[in-house]
Amino acid sequence: MSTHRIAAIILRHLYIWPRSPERFMWTFGWPFFGLLIWGLAISFLQSSSSSTFSFITVIIGAIIFWEIVVQPQREVSINFIDELWNKNILNLFASPLTKTEYLTALVVIGIIKMFATALSLTIGSMVLYNFNIFSSFGPLIPIFFINLLLFGISLGFIVNGLILRYGLSMQEIAWAIVVIVQPFSCVLYPLSFIPPWAQKIAIVLPTTYVFEEMRRFMFESNVISTNLVFALLLNTVYLVFSIWFFSIMFEKAREYGRLVKLT
Amino acid sequence: MEHILEVKNLTKQFGDFTAVDNISFSVKEGEIVGLLGPNGAGKTTTIDMLLGLTTPTLGTINVFGLPFEEHRVKILKQMNFSAAYVNLPWRLKVWENLHIFGRLYEVEEYKQKIDTLITEFRLTALKDAITDTLSSGQLTSLYLCKAFINDPRLLLLDEPTAFLDPDVADLIRKYIKKKVKTDNMSVLFTSHNMAEVTEICDRVIFLNRGNIIAEDTPTGLAKRVKFCRVLLLFDVQRTKAVTLLKNYQYTFSFDEKEVQVDTEEENVGQLLGRLSLARLKYSQITIEKPTLEDFFLHAMRGRYEYT
Repeated sequence: MSTHRIAAIILRHLYIWPRSPERFMWTFGWPFFGLLIWGLAISFLQSSSSSTFSFITVIIGAIIFWEIVVQPQREVSINFIDELWNKNILNLFASPLTKTEYLTALVVIGIIKMFATALSLTIGSMVLYNFNIFSSFGPLIPIFFINLLLFGISLGFIVNGLILRYGLSMQEIAWAIVVIVQPFSCVLYPLSFIPPWAQKIAIVLPTTYVFEEMRRFMFESNVISTNLVFALLLNTVYLVFSIWFFSIMFEKAREYGRLVKLT
Repeated sequence: MEHILEVKNLTKQFGDFTAVDNISFSVKEGEIVGLLGPNGAGKTTTIDMLLGLTTPTLGTINVFGLPFEEHRVKILKQMNFSAAYVNLPWRLKVWENLHIFGRLYEVEEYKQKIDTLITEFRLTALKDAITDTLSSGQLTSLYLCKAFINDPRLLLLDEPTAFLDPDVADLIRKYIKKKVKTDNMSVLFTSHNMAEVTEICDRVIFLNRGNIIAEDTPTGLAKRVKFCRVLLLFDVQRTKAVTLLKNYQYTFSFDEKEVQVDTEEENVGQLLGRLSLARLKYSQITIEKPTLEDFFLHAMRGRYEYT
């Protein structure tokens, strides 16, 4: 692996970040609006309720954590699609760049954007709702982040593999996949709250365990660590599968001449 | 001279359709080879396979003496390409795009190399311009800067001067020739501009329906066309000349003043003798030798078309 080539792809996407309003909105704008709207709604419900339980901690915490899935997935997928929109993908793969280097660069960009979003939402939640994710979840944050990040990356790779197979007609899935997965991830409600058929899907998603443990920590001040380890194992399976899937789809795209027709 | 590129029995099938059918050719060090053929001949599919963008169904590709698939990274570091159908990210600045490709090809002193290239391709004033704001000619120059950024030993160009004005196209042809002379670079070149191919290429490989149907120097291919064109300008007696040509069953076309006759070179004397015997006086005569374009048309149509 060449760090020069990885850095080249990272730079390519970082250069356009400041001069790309839509990318700025994806990283900062839309997550912030989500925080604002949910925060205001929950604050209103909290003020109307006699319960002493802090709904805002659970909901705002979940919203911030969910962005740890969304940002890397979107960056991994949109940055790939961007090369197709720009008709630049052939320049990249006619260069010495390897698939591994390319995917590594996409992951690094995803992590950079994820931290940018997480930081802005953390500051926003502290200012608007006096909610500090670090003091609320403390030492659990790294394991939550790693699990959510890995799942986001895996989803991104799968989307990219689908685009290699079916072309740009599949690009909508780059935005839709997190919306499809979110209801089954039990982000805002417990696993027991969803119908049994949906629970069968939810239990194979690592995100479900993270959000279940997040709520357990809020309610009971402890977590079942084996659930988080199981989530990590599931993530390993998803990650290996997604890399294999992307790689197979890439080679099939070369074999069937789809790579050159993607642009 | 060493073979830089060796292609043996290269075949690409897409289902039942054979885009490239068992072709073999080579490119020597310091040689400019033209890959010609009509649309759908298999030129771009061949170039895509040489770049590793499409996997061959059968056959081998050796570049710099190494099998391509096993040594892809090592080979591609010393190759580059530019094609009319490939762009660079349009929201990046000119220097940013070149900076990225300088790093992708691991070019040492890439900043200095970028400055040299944008000077040579007259893009210095546009260094900080967003790529989207460039004219099509400036864009082509930028793509060629990218193609030369790693001083490639083998350069693949798919219609590189398609959108250029004659001045810039000439600049680029001269630059390619200079690089071939000074760096011993090899070039595989496709173009629909036959005059350009004749000027720049040492050798031409002619593809049609995925097969190589001819391989020779541009002049050698042109010479394969046995017909030459005789242009005769008649101030008067044009109708009489047309009647004569019809009677002798010449292949010809005509307008108000000029008559264009296609005949074998050895029969030109006979044609002029017949005109003289009939006391037909022309005010001007031009005899055009066959060109690469004539070969192209001849090969594609199998005959000339006349009015």
